Amino acid sequence: MTDALAGAALMRVARRESAMLRLAKAMAIAFGCLGVLLMYGPVAWLALMSVSERPLTGKPGPFTLAWYEKLFADPRWLDPLLTSLGIATIVSILCMITATAVGRTLPHIGRTGAWLLLVFLVVLFVPGVMLGVDFIMFYRLFLGVRTGLWSLIFAHFVWAFPFALLGVLVVAGRFDTRLLESAMDLGAGRWRRFRDIEMPLLFPGILSAGFFGFLLSLNELPRSIYLRGGTTTLPLFQWAEASSHTTMVPLIYGLSTLITIASLGLTIIALRQLFKGGAA
Amino acid sequence: MAATNSNRLDEPILVVRDTTKRFGNVLALDRVSLTVPRGDFVTLLGPSGSGKTTLLRIVAGLETPSEIVDLKISGQDVREIPANHRNVATVFQHYGLFPHMSVGKNIEYGLLVRKRPPAERRRRAMEALEMVRLPDKYDRRVHQLSGGERQRIALARALVTEPDILLLDEPLGALDERLRRDMQVELLRLQKSLGTTFILVTHSQEEALTMSGRIVLLNKGRIIQDGSPQDLFDRPQSRFVADFMGIENVLEGRVSSCKSGETIVAVSGADIVGQPIPGFSPSVGESVFLAIRAERLRISSGAAPANAGINSVRCKPRLRIYKGNHYDTELETQVGTLVCRQVDAGALPETGFALWDSRHCVIGPMNPSTRQT
Repeated sequence: MTDALAGAALMRVARRESAMLRLAKAMAIAFGCLGVLLMYGPVAWLALMSVSERPLTGKPGPFTLAWYEKLFADPRWLDPLLTSLGIATIVSILCMITATAVGRTLPHIGRTGAWLLLVFLVVLFVPGVMLGVDFIMFYRLFLGVRTGLWSLIFAHFVWAFPFALLGVLVVAGRFDTRLLESAMDLGAGRWRRFRDIEMPLLFPGILSAGFFGFLLSLNELPRSIYLRGGTTTLPLFQWAEASSHTTMVPLIYGLSTLITIASLGLTIIALRQLFKGGAA
Repeated sequence: MAATNSNRLDEPILVVRDTTKRFGNVLALDRVSLTVPRGDFVTLLGPSGSGKTTLLRIVAGLETPSEIVDLKISGQDVREIPANHRNVATVFQHYGLFPHMSVGKNIEYGLLVRKRPPAERRRRAMEALEMVRLPDKYDRRVHQLSGGERQRIALARALVTEPDILLLDEPLGALDERLRRDMQVELLRLQKSLGTTFILVTHSQEEALTMSGRIVLLNKGRIIQDGSPQDLFDRPQSRFVADFMGIENVLEGRVSSCKSGETIVAVSGADIVGQPIPGFSPSVGESVFLAIRAERLRISSGAAPANAGINSVRCKPRLRIYKGNHYDTELETQVGTLVCRQVDAGALPETGFALWDSRHCVIGPMNPSTRQT
């Protein structure tokens, strides 16, 4: 009798728990969808506007590729694009080298490594505009460094480095240093151990550091505003054009759409590279 | 090269003199010396923390000794030479195979860094694969291999560079029982056919007995005994050796009389006759250990025979355990619990006598280190 009662009670608890679980699942899915919608809705809307006849009204349709035609007929954006690509490439290379050098060391120096990581990452929490102002005060006004291409590269590098470092750390953290010992035992010197063993195994992280550096530099605006000197990057160009209330504005929609698609593609490649190693 | 090598054939391939290693306050090795003749198979045996792996790593160059008087490999002083320039190779317990390279590239790596041409590398890698009986695995990825296969690849990779000494750091530790036995035989076969000097580190006395003609037993950073398996088994230099080698019956007592070759030890009120280990001349009153292997014990239902040279204590058989090809029976006696090993499961008497020959009862000093100084 009591056994049967206890059994029924247990069944009730189990049923209630599975109902809770279903509810939790449904809520997770709902919030996830909402988040994605909030994040990508505007981007998708922008893409929709870029193929609409009167984008400034904010309503889609009738659809046309006329803005893209005009965009390619008026190549004023080409110089800023090339400038941005150049800066992004240099920042990307700098990120790969420095993030590898720092990232391969941090996991193996104990508590010092944890503190250093904090120091490297804390710069992420300084607002970008503030950092731009800080830079111009310290480097331009105090140290007298001239602004321009190199100050942009420097600011972008400072912005991208923590992300690049995290990319390398994901891989470096699971690197088995005993492999270097067995390579040494087999006769490999310091450089060969790095080239043959460590670098190939860290490569997904190094590559993703490069991608992060490239993308973050390519789309950087707040720091660039202060440190541009006479240089115009693509985001600066877009920003200036978008806020100028000229007939150029609809062109910017198309340009932004293209940049977004390209960035998205690169990001996907970077993340795939980073987490591919974990499956093997 | 070959000519100079043949001149040095009778010279030991490894000489280690007075090496000490400290990790912070921990003394891992305490003035250890070791000489290994060319072509030998030596086992460094000891419990964890005994310093055996540290000694191996010092030979490999992966650990820098705190102090060392001499370290010679093939007659060459290698104290200042880094691991990558020493002609020794290690098989690690974790194998250390490179996950991003194929099996073939792993094996060829030692030849690659020695700048051998690709054709030679490939040929020698294939030979090495043949040698470890995995001829068709050249193109495999490391993660596609089983534990036993990885072990063999690690072995092939180490041997392909033709090292003066092959160092094996608990190489069979991660394998299951059956595979371990197979690999033991495999290693013995390879060592015999290649004639390379092997130094094996293990914590398993069973493995040490199976594998090598010479066992160096370490404890707390010191060499406790260095000899053949028979030496360690039949003439343990200390209580630690007797225990570690798995001698089933180890007793402690005080010497009550020692006349020409016959030493009598009082153990819990019983007089036990035994033979001192070579080089040990006990004095009356000295505390000693006695070691008797289980297969030397007999159970008799009758009274103790009167003739000299046979020890006899009254016993009560307790637990009998079947061990596959023999039985171990625990006997309760006044000197403690003794284990008796029998091949046949004869009927056990209710009470009886445990008998053993005094020749099979070795006596050693309790404190060998203080006795020597």
